[in-house]
Amino acid sequence: MSILTNIIKLFHSVKDQNLKWHLANQGDQAKLKHGRVLAEKALEAELKKKSVQLEHDISLLRTKHDAELSMFKTKCRQDVKDYKQYLAALDQLKASIQASYTHLPEAVAFTIHHHAKYLLNKMWEAEDFEQKMQHEMQLIRFMTTVHEDARLHLEGETTDNLPERTLNLIGRE
Amino acid sequence: MIIRISLLLVLASLPVFLLAELLLWLAVPGLPTVLTTLAMATLLSGFAALIIAGLWDVGKIIVRSALDYFSAKQRMQRRLWFVQARQDQVKRLFYFKTRQIKYFNELSRKRLLKLNNRKHIRSLSKAIDKELLSIKTKLPGTTYQQLQQDHARYRNRQDIEALLTLQQKISTLV
Repeated sequence: MSILTNIIKLFHSVKDQNLKWHLANQGDQAKLKHGRVLAEKALEAELKKKSVQLEHDISLLRTKHDAELSMFKTKCRQDVKDYKQYLAALDQLKASIQASYTHLPEAVAFTIHHHAKYLLNKMWEAEDFEQKMQHEMQLIRFMTTVHEDARLHLEGETTDNLPERTLNLIGRE
Repeated sequence: MIIRISLLLVLASLPVFLLAELLLWLAVPGLPTVLTTLAMATLLSGFAALIIAGLWDVGKIIVRSALDYFSAKQRMQRRLWFVQARQDQVKRLFYFKTRQIKYFNELSRKRLLKLNNRKHIRSLSKAIDKELLSIKTKLPGTTYQQLQQDHARYRNRQDIEALLTLQQKISTLV
């Protein structure tokens, strides 16, 4: 019986303590709760602001990407067109050298043309600008030499049967 | 609090069990059965209190986390993550689109080069044919045939180096 009374007493004392603690700390508790709610609200608002900002950024990014892509596409198309023109120019080069040296073997003309194409591809595939410029200069020099050879032979200033300067250049490179 | 109570109940049941055992040993009739039942009830109520408190706590935790999951803050956080993922996706898409354009551009350039190569190989091959025909009478039949076969093979393979070597070989034969 006394055990039961003890238990009940213990229960009551604990309850009393609890109540007292609650009474003493009511203000603090309310403040804490209020603070927590406020902080949560602030966080929520901040998150919302962030996501709205991000959405805006995405739409800007999309527009920017679209513009860049269309520009890039145009540039690529122009690149292919340029390449086509270069190929036509090289064909022209071959035709002109064949027209000047009437007895030029096809294999020599082919070699000259092939070398020019090799230079063109090297220029096209170069990664950095410096290298590209270097290869372009090389190609231009080669084309000039070929034209010069053709011109000299056509004007009768040389009696060589082959465009020696061009062939020397190929040999050197 | 609950743990303290249930522990007290369990501890209280132990002396009652011991008392019941002692009474049984002393052969007191009737009382041990009642005491054993009482001790068992105390023990079981201690355990039951513990289990009920545990279940109650688990339930509370479940409800709280469910509420937290659907709270405005968490929803906003998830929304932010979603938008961030979409931004990453947009960036990735741009990168791959650029790669795709580059790839198709390169492909059309290669196609142009291939067409051009074919055209010039054809003219070189014609020249070789002509040269071969012109020296046909000066060559033994098997050599001529062999050269012609080589020529056809190299032309089909579009092998520029081999065609040039073949042309040189024919020139030296003359």
